[in-house]
Amino acid sequence: MNRIVLEISEEGIATVRMQDRAGNNAFSPAFIEEFLQTLKRLDDESIKVCVFCGLDDVFCSGGDEEVLLGLAQGTAKSYDLKMVKNILEIPVPTIAAMEGHATGGGLVLGLCCDMVIMAEESSYGCPFMNLGFTPGMGTTGLLRYAMGEYFAAEMMFGGQYFRGSRFRERTLVNYIEPKARVMERARTLALRIAVKPRPALIMLKQNLSLPRAKAVDEACTAEAIMHEACFRDPETVNRIKENFLKHD
Amino acid sequence: MASREEIWNVIHKHLVDTVENLDGQEIDTSKSIMDLGANSLDIVEIVSCSIRELKIKVPRNELNNLKNIDELIDLLHKVSNASG
Repeated sequence: MNRIVLEISEEGIATVRMQDRAGNNAFSPAFIEEFLQTLKRLDDESIKVCVFCGLDDVFCSGGDEEVLLGLAQGTAKSYDLKMVKNILEIPVPTIAAMEGHATGGGLVLGLCCDMVIMAEESSYGCPFMNLGFTPGMGTTGLLRYAMGEYFAAEMMFGGQYFRGSRFRERTLVNYIEPKARVMERARTLALRIAVKPRPALIMLKQNLSLPRAKAVDEACTAEAIMHEACFRDPETVNRIKENFLKHD
Repeated sequence: MASREEIWNVIHKHLVDTVENLDGQEIDTSKSIMDLGANSLDIVEIVSCSIRELKIKVPRNELNNLKNIDELIDLLHKVSNASG
């Protein structure tokens, strides 16, 4: 418990903090469950804007070994997809304050937000292909919004990690700040939004997030077909296991 | 098979590519990559790029116990010689 903490300030700023230190803020089945439960509490009428943040060194590291092996071996449903959809459907504007690293599904989780702040010193990447399978969680539809079509392609094909500072001229996200200033920037942004009328915020939010929600929906369908083909290859399971050895 | 110096040159190239402000600086190989300002994912990037360029395979668990750059060079050198 308490992997995910929700705080609501008197200004109407909800802060969802992912703080599973032991699990490195990866999507374990328990993490996903807690995350989804927390999102349900965001329909509170006092909330006008929602900030997602993580640990200072890890925002979110995507699927853990159990979840990825479960997907590869067909024993688990891709219920991490539900996280993406549910973030996109949060009624109020959302801000990702990514102080720490964000990789794979963890990066996607941040990019589901309406506004994104990255840290100069932290690293971001999409290592799906390093594990031998095509990107999931809507990455193929969402990444281009943040990175532009061609840089998104480089990130997905190459699977490399880039420092936030390297994104400065290449990305389309809102801010790339020194790590120590990410939360402050998120708060400034959130305060500006929190004084606006909630019904108007909700309407605008729905309107602005629609293209991304559609892109994710279409991407997920294509990604599921690609995954089926990738996971048929037993080498994919070996690659996933080998990748997680380093954490033992 | 690559010499120890060739191995260091490959690691050095990826180190400078990945970690900012190292270009043109003398690097003390008795230090760890983290001492030079790299974060954990920078290290993954530097090591995996070096291994790929050297066309060698290094067991992950052997990479976990390294204390500094010298030990990384030694390990890649040993594996490179064994496979060459």
